[in-house]
Formats: sequence, structure tokens, C-alpha cells
Amino acid sequence: MGGKRFLTILLLFLSLAARAQELEKFVFSPMSLPQAQFVGYYVALDKGYYREEGLDVVIDHPFATQSVADKVLDGECQASLLTLSLAMRMVGEGQPLVNILQTSMNSATLIISRWGDDPLTLRGARVTGFRAGFGQLAQSFSIKENLDYEWVFTSAASAVNLFISGAVEASLARSYDEYYKILQTGLVDPEKGIYRFEDHEYNIQQEGVWVTREYFKTHRKQAEAFARASRRGWEWAAANPEQAMDVVMRYIKEYRIATNRTLQWLMLKEVLRLQVDHESGLREFRLRPDMVQAADDLLFTSGRLTRHVSYEDLIP
Amino acid sequence: MRKLFESIRRSFSARLSLWVVLFAALVFLAALGYSTMVARRFVKREAVLRATQVLENSILRLTNILEDVQLSADYLEWLVYRHLEEPDLMEEYSYNTVQGTPALNGCSISFEPDFFPGQHYFSAYSGYRDDVLQSMQEGSDDYQYFYLDWYLLPKLLNQPCWTEPYADWESDDAKDLQTEMQVSYCKPLTVAGGRYIGCISLDISLKWLSETLSSVKPYPNSYSILVSRGGSFLVHPDPERLFYETIFTQGLLNPVSDQTVLGKAMQAQETGMQSLTIGGQRSYVFYTPVKTTGWSMAIVCPESDIFDSFDRLRRILISISLLSLLLLFATCFRVIGRSVKPLRELAVQAEDIASGHFDKALPTSTRPDELGTLSRSFAHMQTSLVSYMDELTRSTANRVRIEGELQIAREIQKGMVPRVFPPFPDRKGIDLFASIVPAKEVGGDLYDYFIQKDRLYFCIGDVSGKGIPASLFMAVVRTLFRVLGQQELPAAEMARQINETVSENNDQLMFVTMFIGVVDLKTGALDFCNCGHNPPAIFAEKGKARFLTCKPNAAIGAIPGFAFEGEAIGTIKGIPLFLYTDGLSEAESPAQEQFGEERLLATLNSQPFDGAEAVVDRMGQTVAAHVGKAERSDDMTMLCLKVS
Repeated sequence: MGGKRFLTILLLFLSLAARAQELEKFVFSPMSLPQAQFVGYYVALDKGYYREEGLDVVIDHPFATQSVADKVLDGECQASLLTLSLAMRMVGEGQPLVNILQTSMNSATLIISRWGDDPLTLRGARVTGFRAGFGQLAQSFSIKENLDYEWVFTSAASAVNLFISGAVEASLARSYDEYYKILQTGLVDPEKGIYRFEDHEYNIQQEGVWVTREYFKTHRKQAEAFARASRRGWEWAAANPEQAMDVVMRYIKEYRIATNRTLQWLMLKEVLRLQVDHESGLREFRLRPDMVQAADDLLFTSGRLTRHVSYEDLIP
Repeated sequence: MRKLFESIRRSFSARLSLWVVLFAALVFLAALGYSTMVARRFVKREAVLRATQVLENSILRLTNILEDVQLSADYLEWLVYRHLEEPDLMEEYSYNTVQGTPALNGCSISFEPDFFPGQHYFSAYSGYRDDVLQSMQEGSDDYQYFYLDWYLLPKLLNQPCWTEPYADWESDDAKDLQTEMQVSYCKPLTVAGGRYIGCISLDISLKWLSETLSSVKPYPNSYSILVSRGGSFLVHPDPERLFYETIFTQGLLNPVSDQTVLGKAMQAQETGMQSLTIGGQRSYVFYTPVKTTGWSMAIVCPESDIFDSFDRLRRILISISLLSLLLLFATCFRVIGRSVKPLRELAVQAEDIASGHFDKALPTSTRPDELGTLSRSFAHMQTSLVSYMDELTRSTANRVRIEGELQIAREIQKGMVPRVFPPFPDRKGIDLFASIVPAKEVGGDLYDYFIQKDRLYFCIGDVSGKGIPASLFMAVVRTLFRVLGQQELPAAEMARQINETVSENNDQLMFVTMFIGVVDLKTGALDFCNCGHNPPAIFAEKGKARFLTCKPNAAIGAIPGFAFEGEAIGTIKGIPLFLYTDGLSEAESPAQEQFGEERLLATLNSQPFDGAEAVVDRMGQTVAAHVGKAERSDDMTMLCLKVS
């Protein structure tokens, strides 16, 4: 009897081990520490969508000022979440990347004035910015609009503190993140002194999942599987935002992130809103050639790109 | 419940007791309300004083902490400048600074990239890791400190400053973060020409600050909050709130929250007190700014804490008041019940008396109060009532008797006038009909007729006054008329003799108006004498009625010895006569309008003569219609005659 039980346990163990071996490890690096911005990936992981696609996904959050772009280039992760402008710069600099899932269909970029002035009138003003990512587009915008902002590069969290203390006259912000952090200081009027890229010709989509072209060539199946499962995760989150929020808060608690549920809830709603294409009214999860073209024009004209980067350069 | 109300309604003592209790309750309520208001104001004033003192102490403690940190920073700055060429000492300096300043959680001396040759990153940091003070170089490609707020703020502001709270990580592994929220005092390091070369940053743990400042509180559940310039909580009893939550965070979802109002006041560096609902609890919040930092400190005191003793006292007072009211009700009910007991007995006996037992003996009361007086008055009233009832019985019996006698008199009076029509059935050529409609009282109207040797004697009269005397006078006149008629006297002579007879011993000065007529049934000649009576109507020309013109004579009995003049009409054959008393012409409608002679003639002429009875009936109906529901004040007598 004892021998029979041992045999059963052994077979079960071997079967599980074999199944684990079947799953391919896939490391994904989002842009920062856990927050509602990445809810689709958390949901896909929690719901087992990645496992269903044969992937053993690890979400590897970067620490503080770590660059996720470097991580994907160095092979520390298979895919990372990058803004379109950063990916285009990297491609322009000869580091081929491929977009496998575009999660943002609109620009979240805002410039918020500290004292309520129109940001377009703040010529030469000191403005917090980010060295990489959507900061690139904002810098190009500053050049194109002849604003000549004096950029103070900092981290996203620090940007809000510099803004509060009045050390800068305006701050670059994302509509789902720094915008609400600034609003919760009670120092600004949400109706005044805000320039939304989304409402102007600078509505260029931002976050997407990128892999190196080399990886895509050799692991196309895995890359596409990751994109499919991630998309399922996002669609589930859009349909069940309250439950998705619980998943996010679990990650936040696990990582002891300094934030609160209100901010995360507002972030979730805004990120989901930005996923809906203005023209089609749908979550399309794709790069738009016209937006790539607009980004290329802006970045190239401002000297942020050394060569033109086309839509074809970015897709598989 | 309805039964209870009914029994209260029926019980004087219950009702009075209730009124007393109600009044007492109002007095209690007013007194309680006033004392509550005054006491509450007093408790509130005490609370303000107490909370303000605690707030001032907390501010003093905080100021001491901040000054300690600033002094340490000043000393550290002096050391750094003095040993700027010896970077190896920086870790030691930061270590000693943290060790020597209890408020500090960490300290860094950081320099611009490549300030020291060969060292792109230089940030000498000392801080507690697992309660052990450690020193290290914390700059790296993964931790580029010069992009962080605590480094950039003094650089951009070019002056010492306090940062907003930010998270400090105790690990380089994102999966193994030990987040500590802290706030830093930063001082820029500059060299000649004002060039920024770096900064020193002294960190205070918000957790430690919260524990330190929250240790003293005015009430068991009160707590302190410290809010930064940007609304972030630097001190809060709930550690979760220290994590990037501001006083305005809830306002993002609900812009009109009490907390937002408080936040605005604190952010505006105001000093004051507000009554707000915070965390679902009504609380008083006392707040004041922390000078030079842009921070504001507040003490939140739940109302339930402040007014706890007061509420307990109020509950006891209310309980005592309710108990007192109950006691008062019971006492009132009993005392009033006993007081009104004689009244109750009196009521029972009064009911007995009311049901006819007038001789029921009433209890004798010797009480000197109102109830005694009432009892005695009632006894007196009973005596009076019995006497009155006897009197009433007697007078009622008398009245009934008199009424009976009057009725008999009325019947006798009726019986004295002929009432059989046609009156002379065996004689052709006489159409006569008469009627008396009596008034309520016995009156003195009369009519009569008879035939004596082919002569028809007839009369109609109205005795002055009413009642038995008039009735008797009428009987005398009628008898005289009959007696004198037998003697075949002319009408004027009959009038004279009747006048002379009734004038004798006429102490009552009674008289009668009368019309006496004698018709020769063969010739139709009419001999008549009008003795002050209404002239009769005669259907003279073409059957149209008009009043007969008569000589004026006095009424019979009015003037003794009066010479009555008679008159004659050649013949009245085929010419009807209509005689009446003033009860007809003066009959009043409800609007007190008399029937009048015009209506009388109009009624007679309303249609051709169609028989004496028909004329009298029609006249009776017309007058009845005119009188309606009004009461008749006089007899109405009519006599219609046609000889053919």
C-alpha cells in the first residue's frame, strides 16, 4: 500500500516537473515599480493567460532610475514596456526593436504650470522633464513651439516634489500619474494652466511592448504568445476594473510601494481611457502609421533622431 | 391605546396630572436645554484650551526637532567645507551626524558628478539599516541621486529647504524593498562664485516623527496630523496615510469633502478650529502653521471624546428628569384624585337628582375650600330646585286648566255663530255663506243671520280686544242682535239699542264694530247701518266689486247715546255683498305686508261671481297664500250674500 502511494506521488511530481519544463521563461520589464499602469500584465499573470500560452512570465520591475531600454538590449528581459519615442530613438541609433503590442493609443503627456499660466507662454521657463521616454517628445515640442524650456531632468516622483516647492515653473506630467499626484497637492486648479498633447497635433501614442528584432526573429512564437496573453489581460481589466484594481493593490502591497488606492484607481481609469483610439472608439492595441510619422517628424526636426524612422522599421 | 386616551379624557385627575407633568416637562426641558447649552459651551471652551495647549506643545517639540536638525546641518556644512579636499572623511561625518542627532534617520553628503576626480558618483550616506547605523556610497548607474528631489531642490532654490516626503529604499532589489517615507532638510554646497557643488541632506523618518509627536494627546482618541506644503501627511496615526497620500487625496473623488476644506485652511497657513467630519467621525480640528517650513500641524479631537463626560452627565440628568416626571405624575394623580373625590360623589348624586330623585340627600361637607363651597351651593341649589319644580308643577297644571277653559270658550264662540250651509234650504233666492278663521287666541269676531217675516237679518262684527272678555262681549252683542231682530226693528234702531245696552256698566270700555243689514226678501230693499266697521264690498255695476259707501257711525259700545244713522239701497236682488272683518284686510305676510283692500277687491274681481261659498273659499285661499307661515294675530271673518 505504502509503495503504491509513493509511486503515485512520484508520478505526479514527474508530471508537474515535465509541465514546468514545457513552459518557456519570459522576462518582461515594465517601466517602473508596480502601479495600475501595468494592470493588464498582472491580470494576465494572475489569470494564467501566460501559462495557457506556454510561457512562464516573470515581471521584473526596474528599480528607481534603472533603464528598461538597457535591460531589453542587454538581454536581461525578453520584452519591455517603452514609449514610442524612446523606441524610435533606439531604432534610429541602430538598435532594432519590434513592437509586439501597442497598449496606448493616445498621448498622456501634459505640461502643468505651477502658477496657472498657459504653458505656451512660459518661454525659457524651468520645467521638470524626464531624460527618456515621453520626455523626448516634450523636448521636441518645446523646440518646435519656440518655448526653449530649461529642462530639469529628474525622476517622476521627484518631479512632483520639485513642482510643489516652486523650484520649477512647470512640470511635465502623465495624465494618469503625475497629473493626479499634482492635483492631490491642492496647489493647482485642474482647469487652468494645463497643456494636453492629446488635444493638439502632438497626440502621439506612447507605451507599447517591445522586443529586439533579433529575439523576434528567433522567438516569434513566444513574442506573439506574450502579446496575445497580455492583450487578454488588458481586455479583462477593462471589463472588470474593480477586480483588476484588487490585483494591482496586491502587487503594490507586496512591493511596499508608496501610493494609495485613490491614485491607483484614477490611474487605472485613465490608462484604460487612453487605450481607446479617438477615431475608431476601440481598443486597437496597434501602432498607428500616422502617429509614427508624426513622432518621426517631431523628433527628427528637433534633432532627437539622427535618421528618419518609419512605421515599417518598428513592426515585425 | 384608544382606551387609554378615553380613560385619560374621562378622568379629571389624570388630565390635570398630565397637564402638570407637561408643564413640568417643559420647565425641565428648558432648564436642561439651557444648562446643556451652557455646559457644552464650557466643555468646548475647555477642549479648545486643552487642545490648543497640546498643539502648542507639539509645535514646540517639532520646532525643537527641526532646529536640532538644522543645527546639525550647519555644523556638518562647516565640516564639509573645512575638509572639502578629503572626501574619505565624508562618510565619517555623515555617520557622526546621524549618530549625534536622535531625530535623524539618515544623512548624505552628495556632490555633483565628477566633482572628485575619478568619481562620477559621490554620495556619502549614513543611515539605519535594520536598526544598525551604516555608511556607504549610494550613487550608481542604477541610483543616480543627482536626478532626485532632495538633491535638486537645494540646487534649484539655492537655499536650505525641507523636501516633500519621499520614499527611501533600503535595498537595491526592487523585489525586496523596505520603503521608508522620510522628509529631508537639504543645504546646498557652493564654492566661490556660487557654483553648486553638491548638497547635504539630513533625513527624518516620518514613522519616527509620527510616533514622537503623537505621544501626547488631549483625549484618548485624538491624534495629531502634520501636513506639508503640498498637503502630504508628515504625521498621521495611520502609517498607510504617510505613503503619498495627501489631505486632498479623498477630494480627488469627492471634491467637497470636509477634509478638503481643512486642507485648504492648513495649506493657507491659517490658525483656527473647525468642526468637521473626518473618517466618518464628527471632530473638532485645531490647526496652526509650523513657521518657516510651510507645514501645518493639527490636532483632531473626536466630538465623542470631548463630550464623553458631558454626554454621560446629560444622560443621567435626562434619566433623573424622566423619573421625577413619573413621580410627579403619580403624586399629582393621587393628590388630585383624593381632592376631587367629594366632587366625584357629588357628580354621582347630581346624576341621581337629575334622573328625578330630587329628594336625594347630598353629603354634607365641612370643608372650608372651594369644593366645600361647591357642595353647599349644590345642596342649596337642590333645595331651590325642589321648590322651583313644585312651583312649576303647579303653574303648569294651572296653565293646562286655563288652556282647556280657553279651548272650551273657543268652542262655545264657534257654536254661537251659525255654521250650517246653505242656511235656508227651504227658501230659494238666498245664497249665503260665512266663515270665521280663528287666530291663536280667542277673538271677538261674530257674524249672524236669520229670517223674520220675509226679512233676512244679518250682521258681521269685530269686538275690540281678545280673550275671554271679548268672547263674552261678542256673545252679548250676538244675543242682543237676535232679540232685537225678533222685534223687526230697522238696522239703525237695532244698533242704537245694542249700543245703549252694552254701554251700561261697560267698565272695561269694550266696543264692537258692526255692520247690520236687513233685506226685504220680496223687494230686495236693503236697510243697513255700518257701526264703525269696514264697509262691505258690493258687486254693483256689471258684477264688478267695489266698497260700499257708508255713513260714518261710531262703534257700538264706544259712545253711549250715539245717534246711529241707517241707510238704504233700493234693491240688492242679483247684487252680491261681501262682508269681512279687518282680520282679512290686515292679514300680514311673513314680511309684515298687509293683505290690503286693493288685493281684496282684486281677488273678488278675479272672476265673475260664482256663488257665495266659492267667493269665500277663494278669498280664504288667497289670504292664506299671502300669510304663508306667518302667525295670524286676529280672527278673519267673511260673509257673502246674494239675494235673487
